Amino acid sequence: MEALAKIVAKATEAAVDPADAKNQAAAASAGYAYGLAAIGPGIGIGYLVGKAVEAMARQPEAAGMVRTTMFLGIAFTEALALIGFVVFILLKFA
Amino acid sequence: MIALEFPPINAILRWQDVAPSFNKIAIIAVLATIIGCTIFAMAARADARKAPRGARNLAETSVEFIENGVIMQTMGRDGLGWTPFLLTLFLFIYLCNVPGIIPFFQMPATARMAIPGALALMVWVVYNGAGIKHQGFGGYFKSVLFPPGVPKALYVLVTPIEFISAIIVRPFSLAVRLFANMLAGHILLVTFALLSESLFQAKDKILIPFGVLPMFMLIFLTGFEVLVAFLQAYIFTILTAVYIGGAVHPEH
Amino acid sequence: MATAVVTLSGGSVVSVRLASEKGVAAAPRAEEGAEPKDMGPNPISPELKELAWGFGSFLVFLVIMRLFLVPKVRKGMAERYDGIRADLEGADAAKADARAEVAKYEAALVEVRAEVAKRVDAARVTLDSERGEAIAAANRRIAAKKAEAEAAAVAERAAARDQISAAVTSVTATATSIAVGKQADNSVVTQAVAQAMQSTGAR
Repeated sequence: MEALAKIVAKATEAAVDPADAKNQAAAASAGYAYGLAAIGPGIGIGYLVGKAVEAMARQPEAAGMVRTTMFLGIAFTEALALIGFVVFILLKFA
Repeated sequence: MIALEFPPINAILRWQDVAPSFNKIAIIAVLATIIGCTIFAMAARADARKAPRGARNLAETSVEFIENGVIMQTMGRDGLGWTPFLLTLFLFIYLCNVPGIIPFFQMPATARMAIPGALALMVWVVYNGAGIKHQGFGGYFKSVLFPPGVPKALYVLVTPIEFISAIIVRPFSLAVRLFANMLAGHILLVTFALLSESLFQAKDKILIPFGVLPMFMLIFLTGFEVLVAFLQAYIFTILTAVYIGGAVHPEH
Repeated sequence: MATAVVTLSGGSVVSVRLASEKGVAAAPRAEEGAEPKDMGPNPISPELKELAWGFGSFLVFLVIMRLFLVPKVRKGMAERYDGIRADLEGADAAKADARAEVAKYEAALVEVRAEVAKRVDAARVTLDSERGEAIAAANRRIAAKKAEAEAAAVAERAAARDQISAAVTSVTATATSIAVGKQADNSVVTQAVAQAMQSTGAR
């Protein structure tokens, strides 16, 4: 059993050349990059839209202004997640 | 089991030239210009006195959308002179986004960095230029770098932040937002299309009915992309309006 | 593997040929040995030809819109809105006119009503006075007749009394002459009779 494990380890070791190792690390960290980058903006956008809906429900006559501001806020918040996505693309494919 | 073989990213983003240095992105950009001009030319030809129909209705709706939904909300009445610029920006980006879901195009032209980058750079030049024109060179940079109403000691902190945010981050985030949104949508569509296709063509006959699930997802995402195409064009336009308004009237 | 979304797929093979710059075109379906290391340029970096075409067509679009199309459409819109505004103002004016007309009509109506009421009142007053006069006349007539009748009754009563007193006087005188045997004094008898009648009449 132990011998088998050793053989497997050797075989995998042999198969991995440095460039591939780097690619693998990049691919793995790409997932982390995007996943982590999505947390904050996710919370932020949820909070933002919830508050905006609250404001619109309280004051329907100001709904247009609130909506515009909400989209602006979403745009700014979302940019962070999108930068994470770009980093993902860079790590994975560049 | 099936193994989904995802094509290299450039295979779904880069297109061969149909003519020297004229690929699908260029086709979409040129078509966007032609379609936009055609709609407005038809609108301009139509009788203005009658109730608007067809192309004229479309054109007037978009003009009013830009004036009431973008300019009045951000710049106020004296920003109405920017209508042609913002309208063109909005229409061009929208018409470049929409081919992402139109069969045979299936590619938003804005999912490549070229068009968003160029537009963002142009917007950067425009709002800085507008600020310099309205307040003079010194006045503009003073109002950008040293915002009034801040304690003097804090300028050490505020000025670099304002510089980075106003001069570097704004065009960058403007370009990246549009580009990354459209690219993400495109990749999502590709993924689900590939998934359902490989399920439909699976050797294991049992897997074939499951291909319907990603197909439904694909349909849903296509509908979502319709929304995103509009929303991203709107956000790009309204942010441009906000930047221009901020540069022209720093007190707001 | 076809890419349904991506391309004009010709069969079951990826038919996307990459824009060739450094032999990229052959990349995706390379042999096992030759790994597709060269995946072409970075997917994020902008390409000059796309930039040129995209930005160029945008500039053309912008110039055409700015110089020709938007002003035209805007002018048409402004014209129509002005027209609508003028129509609206016209309608408002017409409405105001109609209102004024109605007010005038109502004023006239009120006047006429007042006139009618006045006339009715006047008629009533004349009627009342006439009736009053008629009643007064009737009353006067009745009073006259009553007075006449009363006078007649008084006269008759006086006549009857005279007759009675005459009869009583003659009877008394006769009775007295029979009883006494000589002619009674006529004036005394008359006085006695009158006294007796007076006392009975008073009772």
